[in-house]
Amino acid sequence: MLQFITRRMIYLIPSLLGIVLITFILSRVLPGDPALMIAGEQAPQSVVENIRTELGLNDPLYVQFGTYVKQLFQGDLGTAWHTGHTVIEDFAVRLPATIELGIVSLLIALLVAIPVGIIAATKKESILDHISRFFSLIGACMPVFWLGLLLILIFYSKLGIAPAPMGRIGNDILPPTNITGLYLVDSLLTADWVAFRQALSHIIMPAICLSAGTMAIIARMMRSSMLEVIGQDYIRTARAKGLSEGNVIYKHALANASIPTITMVGLQIGYLLGGAVITETLFSWPGVGSYVTESILATDYAPIQAFTLLSAVVYSVINLLVDVIYGLIDPRIRYD
Amino acid sequence: MKKSMWFTVLSFTLMIALLAGCAPKANQASNSDVHASSDAASSSTGGAITVAYSEGGQTLDPAEANDLTSDTLVLALYDQLVTYGVKQVNGADIADTTDIKPMLAESWEVASDNVTYTFKLRKDAKFQSGNPVTADDVVFSLEHIKNSNSGGFLYQQATIDSFRKVDDSTVEVKLTRPNQLFLQILAMYSFSVIDQKSVQGDAGDFLKTKTAGSGPFVLEKWDPSSEAILKANDAYWQDRAKLDKVTLKFMKEASTRTLLLGKGDLDLAMEIPPKDIETLKSNENITVRSDASNRILYMGLNTAVKPFDNEKVRQAMSYAMPTDALLKDVMFGQAKQMKSIVASNTPGFSDAGYVYSYNLDKAKELLAEAGYPNGFDFDFTLGSGFKDWEDSATILQAELKKIGVNMNIKKLARAQFLEQVQTKKVQAYFSKWTSFVNDPEYHLGFLANSASSSNYVNYNNPKVDDLLKKAAVETDSAKRNEMYGQIQEMINTDMPYAYLYEYNRIVAFNKDLKGYIFFPDECLRFYPLSK
Repeated sequence: MLQFITRRMIYLIPSLLGIVLITFILSRVLPGDPALMIAGEQAPQSVVENIRTELGLNDPLYVQFGTYVKQLFQGDLGTAWHTGHTVIEDFAVRLPATIELGIVSLLIALLVAIPVGIIAATKKESILDHISRFFSLIGACMPVFWLGLLLILIFYSKLGIAPAPMGRIGNDILPPTNITGLYLVDSLLTADWVAFRQALSHIIMPAICLSAGTMAIIARMMRSSMLEVIGQDYIRTARAKGLSEGNVIYKHALANASIPTITMVGLQIGYLLGGAVITETLFSWPGVGSYVTESILATDYAPIQAFTLLSAVVYSVINLLVDVIYGLIDPRIRYD
Repeated sequence: MKKSMWFTVLSFTLMIALLAGCAPKANQASNSDVHASSDAASSSTGGAITVAYSEGGQTLDPAEANDLTSDTLVLALYDQLVTYGVKQVNGADIADTTDIKPMLAESWEVASDNVTYTFKLRKDAKFQSGNPVTADDVVFSLEHIKNSNSGGFLYQQATIDSFRKVDDSTVEVKLTRPNQLFLQILAMYSFSVIDQKSVQGDAGDFLKTKTAGSGPFVLEKWDPSSEAILKANDAYWQDRAKLDKVTLKFMKEASTRTLLLGKGDLDLAMEIPPKDIETLKSNENITVRSDASNRILYMGLNTAVKPFDNEKVRQAMSYAMPTDALLKDVMFGQAKQMKSIVASNTPGFSDAGYVYSYNLDKAKELLAEAGYPNGFDFDFTLGSGFKDWEDSATILQAELKKIGVNMNIKKLARAQFLEQVQTKKVQAYFSKWTSFVNDPEYHLGFLANSASSSNYVNYNNPKVDDLLKKAAVETDSAKRNEMYGQIQEMINTDMPYAYLYEYNRIVAFNKDLKGYIFFPDECLRFYPLSK
């Protein structure tokens, strides 16, 4: 097992190098001159030229790439000109917000989707199954921005029960002491209940908005894999032995049915990162999603490259985790 | 295996409970303090306000600030040598850029050569650090602007030749030529006076994220992804700001800003879409101020490329411009018709020679005279990022179709758009222009001078160039404006630009908020505001 993980980690290195090269070339080859964006449309040519020299944009591409890789190895992801901070500093502030939103969304999605999927499978063709299918279809095809605006309109504007979509915590509230950067966890750890209530009320709407698509897909996945497992011989055997229906479903069927679902959850984490771009913008959530949107609009190379690299690492690590979890759930899977 | 797992879970839960029990209650206590103080503040005269901007700003360096949020923050944190006066127009307060008032400089003298200015500094002015404002700081600040990118170009506009410290509270600045705009430019945020002793290390790096000013507000927090918090400077050398605290919230989504303002969660919102104005006006708790700015939108027609190399074709475009429809359907009445390449509220504006009104027959006639009786096709490059540009382009496209002209709209992301127009080869495009100092030279020198790098349409009229040179050094403002009038008349005949409209700066705020003043640079000053 350890050997398997080590080998997979080693495989990771060439793929990451490839990603570094591709993102670098893509961001440079696409038209758009950051110097012009920095200087603004009313700046004279000489100013633009100065900025270009300062940023090293006049150097040949391979020199720029060399500098970039050298910096990477020193742990330097560059500086984002549109914020004035290094990318590491920006990420340090924003990443916890995105992670918190992602975790809460994923929890909501799993807590709803797995029971719904199981019920839909065990009560196939019943009214419950049809209802769940109907909502899954809506959830899967509803655009995130539309759902977000709808939530804001109903729960904030009309009913007035949700707080204003203005970030992670109320205006007059101090954020909890920074331990993990996740407001919910930090406020729990320091028993700061004012901040906890605030953070919770602020995260609910964006988290629901972000989880809708994932929820729908996982529920469908759970249903179909559950149906497949229920049809297997060993389930019939279990029933023939006289086990209770609950025992058959939750002890014998669930573990096996969850393997494709786990793959899907792994893939959905990538989707959550992507969906965060829109959700964060809508709810003024100060995470990396809105940061990358700004960077792209500003042609700010360093943060775009850093985010792509980060996504690639997250994706690879999650895939690895998924593979490891397979082995834990299904003893038939072995890593040699 | 299972037992040990349960044990781990149990002990972890215990640990959290313990931590929760032992952890200092400081933050909770401070949070209740915050509640108490904010309650107290709202009942006092000062109070706190929350303001929404679309962007979080890029820098705090006065010399590099180049976007609405950064400029606004700099103006709250720093003071300048001189500032603008205020006048009343139709009962609304508007800054008067021709009326220069003392700020950190208590007085100044202009020598008879018209190029030597001597500034006397206030002796009682102090930076936020407690250091006094001295001539060394002014020299340091001017040096900093001179070497900067954004400000460096304004420094050139100010035509500063040299500057020196005369004594601790006197600075002398020499210009290369007499310049009517010098003091107006000096009042801009770029020319903020920086506390030299507070700057550590490289000034450019330090000032990007830290402050060294004497302004009415102290920066408590600046996170471009979410918010900036300003607190009143208790030791300000003038009267303390009336507001105790200003929170700037950065939210991209325009509809969210409107919604939050309507619900009372915001005290003021910038950059309101024109379509939302009517909704906001119907809310009795909201005041909407829509002031004519000097930001203009025009269509550049490349005079070096067929068919726009023909003057008649360019004039035809102006006759085909559906101004009324644009003002009504795109801008919802929050804009004004443009009749010169200089904005109408700029001193020296003249609409002489502007004869165009929407008339498709006349446009067709001119096209026939120019040798295009059946119209033509052309490429139109549209920069992304502005909803009204897209809407206007679509409406114009439909109009031109009626006279046989096919306008192929090619949409580009902003960065690519800027790169494309710089080549001066783009056939036609929309662009906006703002005159920070509200003077015709600013518009004309960039858009109509054949040598200007911003003249993307290759407009070249030797008579215009000649007059621009003469007007720049003319010290008599009546004569100067007369020359600018002549230039505008010539441009209104040559029509290298077809005019769309002049924007209004729309700001909506809570009825309780008092003291709003409109400035031609469109930046909000928090100092005069009160709640």
